[in-house]
Amino acid sequence: MTRAEFITRLRRGLAGLPVTTIADIVADHEAHFADGQAAGRTEAEVAAALGDPDRLAREMRAEAGLKSWEEKKTPSNAMGAIIALIGLGALDVMFLLPLLMGVLGALFGFLVAVVTMFVAGGFVFAAGPLTAPPGGPITAFLAGLGLMGLATCFGALLTLVTIGVFNAVVWYARLHYRLLKPAIEQA
Amino acid sequence: MHSTWRYKGASTEAKDAVPETIEIQLKKGVLALCVLALLSHADSYAYEIASRLTKDIDMGEGTIYPLMRRMQSDGLVETYLVESQSGPPRKYYRLTATGRQSLEQQKAEWTAFSTAVNDIVGASA
Repeated sequence: MTRAEFITRLRRGLAGLPVTTIADIVADHEAHFADGQAAGRTEAEVAAALGDPDRLAREMRAEAGLKSWEEKKTPSNAMGAIIALIGLGALDVMFLLPLLMGVLGALFGFLVAVVTMFVAGGFVFAAGPLTAPPGGPITAFLAGLGLMGLATCFGALLTLVTIGVFNAVVWYARLHYRLLKPAIEQA
Repeated sequence: MHSTWRYKGASTEAKDAVPETIEIQLKKGVLALCVLALLSHADSYAYEIASRLTKDIDMGEGTIYPLMRRMQSDGLVETYLVESQSGPPRKYYRLTATGRQSLEQQKAEWTAFSTAVNDIVGASA
């Protein structure tokens, strides 16, 4: 493989990362080729020693995905991290996916329940006092308020659990990524 | 110090006996430690680190870049540019305080681990 081919494939593999990051990584590898040639090696030799550019790109994308999840815990970052890791093959998808789907399904169920509870609370709060409920309008008013408060509280707990689940997935994937996956291309 | 990491010779003989994946896992595990140790002696640039590791522990050169990026984003190393006579400025890596701390800790773990393994392997021989 020539230097140009290597860089093209690397660049293609990195697509989606911030432009500055890609430029940085490409510059690192360009410098590597330049240093290699200065040391009297051919482009093909250096390319072979560096390994598969697609694989290298995947590894760096996965790391970038994990990093942005650790810095900012948004749903899109979580999705990005998981997609990048699956691309790397670091997750034992066959083993983990059913489990993960179950957990995600349960979390989603809780989310629906919490939202429903909140809406019901809002309904009791707004409409309850007008329908002459048992215990008087004030009771209905307070009960509605209480329900909404409770829903908010559960929602917060749910968020914490969700973040915990994603962290666990990231931890598990990292373990594989760093220790178990033979990521080293033998030259 | 230099001889500590040089086990290429021994590993070539053992290559057939040890499944390759175990060998790779071992190397992968100590790679970060090796880089930290190299940088603790002197600041260096990626090509130099890579050729040193390739020579001494028989690693793919490409692994250095993901590793250096990871170590940089973990705050273990930082970079600075040095002008060179030929071509663009060169990116040097140096250890941060966190990196030094991590090196000490990993070194202690490695020493304890390798001593234990050597004791067992040596005793059974």
